[in-house]
Amino acid sequence: MFSYEKKLQYPVKIKNPNPNLAKIILTQYGGPDGELGASLRYLSQRYSMPFDELKGLLTDIGTEELGHLEMIGAIVHQLTRNLKGNQMKDPAFAPYFVDHTVGVYPASAAGTPWSAATMQVKGDPITDLVENMAAEQKARTTYDNILRISDDPDVNDVIKFLREREVVHFQRFGEAVQLLRDKLNQKNVYYMNPAVDI
Amino acid sequence: MQSKKREIPTGMGKLPAIAPLANPYVPFQMDNPEQYEANLGLVRGTLYPGLDLPFQGMVNKKPLPQSPTSELQALGFAVQELALYLDTHRDDAEALELYRRYQQLLHDKRMEYVRKHGPLSHRDQTAAPEYEWLNDPWPWEYSGNQEV
Repeated sequence: MFSYEKKLQYPVKIKNPNPNLAKIILTQYGGPDGELGASLRYLSQRYSMPFDELKGLLTDIGTEELGHLEMIGAIVHQLTRNLKGNQMKDPAFAPYFVDHTVGVYPASAAGTPWSAATMQVKGDPITDLVENMAAEQKARTTYDNILRISDDPDVNDVIKFLREREVVHFQRFGEAVQLLRDKLNQKNVYYMNPAVDI
Repeated sequence: MQSKKREIPTGMGKLPAIAPLANPYVPFQMDNPEQYEANLGLVRGTLYPGLDLPFQGMVNKKPLPQSPTSELQALGFAVQELALYLDTHRDDAEALELYRRYQQLLHDKRMEYVRKHGPLSHRDQTAAPEYEWLNDPWPWEYSGNQEV
């Protein structure tokens, strides 16, 4: 089961509201390479994953991603605190504001609601782990792009932390592929699907 | 908790001697890799210098603001990072020992926090007459992350 811990993984303390930037950051809440998709992808892949190391790794990274989702939510929330009338009318933010006010809604920066179509649970361990390696790289690039766009140091400290986590998770998923390969047919790792055939 | 100097540079790892084709390869991180201490690890986003690969040299240098949760966050981060490492390096006895040391420090610091500031989860018992769980601030709020 899951139980809530009443603290963030890394502190989020943003002085200046900036609804424009909030809409950009929101993509890591509910965009195609965001933290919601990451956590659901890994936590859902666990059921068909053979071998205890791989079940454990998906559980531990998937749980950490839920903590990252909360951090992104905190950034978006703090960037839209105490808005003045003219900030609500900002043409980049007004379309979001009219639908969600200052609620945090899982959507991409362009406004597309989060969709499970942005992730996959294939039910084949090599396929799923390679999907996860790609997912970590896509999230890393998104954070790189946020660092190019944002000049708020309070936001960027948190983004740099989250970006580095993608690098570490990529390393662990890469090692997981190798752990898996050691348990498969050494002449042909694609001989069968260990989720179904062993 | 800096480990002793190693012969292999921290940014290097192991690949299999003979690698089958048509497979992605990420080298294994070497056993008992060099670590940052927990506070610096949290600031940098990793406990491992060998995995610390920032974008365009943008690096968090500032120490974290001292809030009631900051020590817990640093120790909790060290435990999480070591857990992910151990998930793929379960036989590394030195890393396991370090993981257990950080678990103990986290446990003690958590008890102290709960005593002073109230519950972190519904499992935490406190002596207060009222139902403290609801007390503001909540973690996503600005005031929940302020310095003291």
